[in-house]
Formats: sequence, C-alpha cells, structure tokens
Amino acid sequence: MDVEIRNRPSFANMLVSLDPDDSIIAEADAMASMSADVQMSTRWNGGMMRAIARRILGGESLFVNEFTAESAGEVVLTQPFPGDIVCLELKGNTMYLQPGAFIACEPGVTLGVGWAGVRSFISGEGLFRLKVSGHGRIWFGAYGAIFTREVEGEYIVDTGHLVAYEPTVAIRVGLAGGIFSSFFSGEGVITRVKGQGKIYMQSRSFGGLAAWTNAHL
Amino acid sequence: MFDSYESFQGGVFHASVPEGRAGASIYLTHSEIVAKTQPEGEQTFSIRLSECQLDLGGASGRMLFCRTPDRSLTIFCEEKGFAQALHQDAMGTLSEQLSNLCMTQRRSENQFRFWVMASAVLLVVLCVGGYYGVLAASRAAVHALPISVDEKIGTIAMQSMDLEEPLDEEHPANQLVAGIVDRLKPHAAIREMDFNVVVVESDEVNAFALPGGEIVVYTGLIEQAESAEQIAGVIAHEMSHATLRHGLQSVSQSLGIIAAIQIMIGDVGGLLALGSELAQESILTGYSRGAETEADLEGARMLHAAHIDPKSMAEFFELLKEQQGDIPGVIAWISTHPQHAQRIENIINYEKTLPKVEYHLLDLDLSAAQQALK
Ligand SMILES: [Zn+2]
Repeated sequence: MDVEIRNRPSFANMLVSLDPDDSIIAEADAMASMSADVQMSTRWNGGMMRAIARRILGGESLFVNEFTAESAGEVVLTQPFPGDIVCLELKGNTMYLQPGAFIACEPGVTLGVGWAGVRSFISGEGLFRLKVSGHGRIWFGAYGAIFTREVEGEYIVDTGHLVAYEPTVAIRVGLAGGIFSSFFSGEGVITRVKGQGKIYMQSRSFGGLAAWTNAHL
Repeated sequence: MFDSYESFQGGVFHASVPEGRAGASIYLTHSEIVAKTQPEGEQTFSIRLSECQLDLGGASGRMLFCRTPDRSLTIFCEEKGFAQALHQDAMGTLSEQLSNLCMTQRRSENQFRFWVMASAVLLVVLCVGGYYGVLAASRAAVHALPISVDEKIGTIAMQSMDLEEPLDEEHPANQLVAGIVDRLKPHAAIREMDFNVVVVESDEVNAFALPGGEIVVYTGLIEQAESAEQIAGVIAHEMSHATLRHGLQSVSQSLGIIAAIQIMIGDVGGLLALGSELAQESILTGYSRGAETEADLEGARMLHAAHIDPKSMAEFFELLKEQQGDIPGVIAWISTHPQHAQRIENIINYEKTLPKVEYHLLDLDLSAAQQALK
C-alpha cells in the first residue's frame, strides 16, 4: 500500500493506492473519493460499546470505514478543516491523539479511548483522548501546519495547539504568567509538557478561530 | 533464558532505534533491566540495575523511566507490577530510589487533590452566589420594566386559561366586586395599573390576579364569604400580587436562571421552552411562600389605607380553614395558599403596627349578590 500526502500543508489529503488485498481503516467521513472497485465496509469503531464510548468521550465517529481492494484501486481521504496531515509508524508503541485528529490507520493498529484526566480537562484539552497502539502506520491531521518537538524536560504549549503526544510525557495545566498577566496578556491557560517524548502541535487552534470570528461578528 | 522471567510491555528511547523510540517487551534479570523491541527480537537493550536511575512521570503520572547515567538509553514501562518486580528483583539496589519516587508522587497527588477540592468548593460558591445574584438581578430588572410587559403576559395567560363566560357587568355580584376594587384602587402601590375585574361562574372558592391587573373572582368565593370585607381582603391580596409584579418575577427568575445555565454550559435550546412553560404554570399554581407573605402584608396595608379592617382578610382565611373539609371548592384557593395559621397570625400582628384609624364597613350589598347567584 502506497500513501501519498498531497497539497501540504494547507489542504492536505491522502491518496491511498491499494494493492490487491490491501486495506486501510479510516474515520467515517474521511473519504473524499475512491475507485469504483474498492470495497467499503462500515463497522463499529472497535466493538459497539467501545465505539459508543469513543463517540461520546473522545469525539470520534461511531463508525469507521474499512477500504479493501480486491484487485487494485485508490481512495482519497481528507479531513474537515484546512491543515496538514502526518504519517506515523507505530512499532509496538502508543500515541495519544486529541479528539478529532485521527484520520486513518493500517489494520494492525488498535484504537482505544483513554482517560486524559482532570488536569487535561482544565487545560482545555478534553477529558478523554484517543489511544492508538500496535503495529502499523497511522495518519492524523491538524488545523494549520503540524510541527513536532522532542521534549526533554519541560516545554510550554498554548491551549488548543497540542495534537498528539507520547504517553511518556506528562500534560499539566498552568498559567502563562501570574494570575493577572495571564488573563490580560491573552495567553491565559497554557499546557506544560513534561518528560521525555515527542509532541505534535498545530499552528492554528479552533479556540483562536472562534475568538477571531466572535470579534468580527 | 528470558522466558523464565515475567515480561512487561513498555518501550525504549535510544538513538539506534529508527525514530529514536520503539515499543518493547521488558524483562528483569538479577542484574539487569532488558528491553527487546517489537516485533520480537529486533534489538535488545539493557541497563545494569546498579547504575539505573529511576524517574516517575508520563501522561498517567505512573510511568517508570529507567535510565543509564549518561541518559543515552531509557527504558520505560507503565504496567502496575513493574515497580513491584523491580523492587524484588533488584535486591534492594533500587529500593531507596523507588521509595523516594513514591513519596514525591504521593505528595504531588495530595497537592493536586487539594487544588481540585479547593476549586470544587469555589465552583459551588460561585454557582450558589450566581443563583442568588440572578434572583436579585431579575427582581431589580422586573421593577425597571414597563407595566405593558405585565399586561402582555397577563393577556396571554388569560387566553390560555379557558374560563367560563364572565358574568354580565350589571350582575349584582359583579357590581359588588367592582365596588371593592374601586375602593382599593387609589391605595395600590402602582397607580398606573389598570385593574379590571371579572366574575366567573364556578363553585370553586377561588380568585387570582394576572400580571397587569386582570383579576378573576369565582362565584364560589362570593357565595361562601360572610361579609363584603372578607372578599375585599382576598381581592386586596390578589391586587398586591399584581402590583408587586410576582408573575413577572417568577417568569424572569426561571428565564434568568436558564439564561445563566446557558452561559455556563453553552447550548441548551430545549431548556428555554421548558422554562417558559414552568413560568406560566407558576402563575396558576401559586407563588412562592415569600411572595404570598409579601402579598398578605401589602394587601393588609391597602385595606388599612382604604379604612377597611385588615383583620377581615385573616377572618376569611380562618373561615376557609374551618370549612376546608366541608366544601370541595375551598380546596382551590387553599392549595395555592398554604400555611394558614402562620399567615393569620402575621396579618393580625402587622395590623397592630399600623397607625390607629377608624375602619368603615363597605357600603356594598353582599346578600343581594349572593341572592342573585342562587
Ligand atoms: Zn396569593
């Protein structure tokens, strides 16, 4: 299976070329177009109860689509907002994705929902996160460009910019400065990333878009 | 030889692994921590227990990191039994580090718990404060609104109530009630309020005021009353509900609280519909106890100002209390006006605090009205 991420970074989409008997699992509404002879089967996103939990708690779709080619074919997958898509290969390790980031994965990858904790909730990163583990490639998207950072020690990310992180880093909520400057500088609450591991960030945030839109209504 | 040891799922950080990290199966020997990357047997890494540096962290706060002194190799694991196994297999080599980590973790967890508790308490205080704030604000806001708002709500409520056809204006019962309202009107707290009274045929002993000054009296009330002053007492009480704008207040309080909830949790379209329904119901099913007491005292003040003995209001309550079991219709007004004994006492006590005036009997013919109703 060959996957090309096109039109990066603003309007990234995935051109998936399926060889005979290849398959790819994608978020329910990710498919933009596909060859007529590609089989699409919709199934619960990892069992009914887990799918429901993921829908309610993790903000992901209730169903995933599995695309399989008997001979060969292609599928174009995309995400609902403008931004980049990255590919990541799991080799028995685990990644946490923020709700809504997941686009597709290879069949060897397990999707689960993980409790992110009260700290994550306070920092505006949600109470739950998608846990991807196993073996195989995963693709996830972001709003705007995606940039990464190998954290060693401590690193600060503004709320809403964190897209994915390894379980080896701790996510803590913090104030950008003192209580006063935090609320008047427009930075407010920030996310402190602590430990060793890779984090993926997006260059735009939905909170920022909402605030900008509100100001112009 | 690894097979004889318990294995844990975790991972490694090392420069020789592509991307610098991989998932791994972790084993403990008597001298080393060993990690084999997955799929099985690709690469093997080990750290001597004697030089292992431990750290606790990760997204869960429970991930154990084992590092070489130069930090070039890190083996990490989140599994519950791992720390336990490390404690046993390391034969005390790592016990001190482990217990230190445990203590630090416990301290930070306690600290975190304290902050969560403190925030929860603050949130409750803000919610309760916000609730009473909304009540007070809606009270103030209601008095700033023009009376035309009360009139509109009153008209809507009247239409939705499906009453019997009111008695003719010339009917003695109507004349009687209109006479009482005329007498009380100059002493109402809101001069501009346009009181309008209708008498509706019904056995129920009931009367109510709608926002804006529309007053409805049931013929059952006139039939059961012993004097015109008693009817005046009930009407004064009901007029007070209108002038104190209790209807608008309960509407605005429900709406105000719903608006506050909306601001707090975002989109709750369905609650709005529910709220206006609740508000309409509260006009018909009775006001809060505080509002009733307010209306009693304001009614007593109006009666006193009109030189009618406020004790007649208390007398009527007494009458209702006695007849409660005998007349089925009495239930109506009683059900929306509970706490009789307390209210009678309040009215009598309040009357004593008012300046002494000479009370006049009403120059209205109750028995003629009662006769005409038979
Ligand atoms: Zn009342």
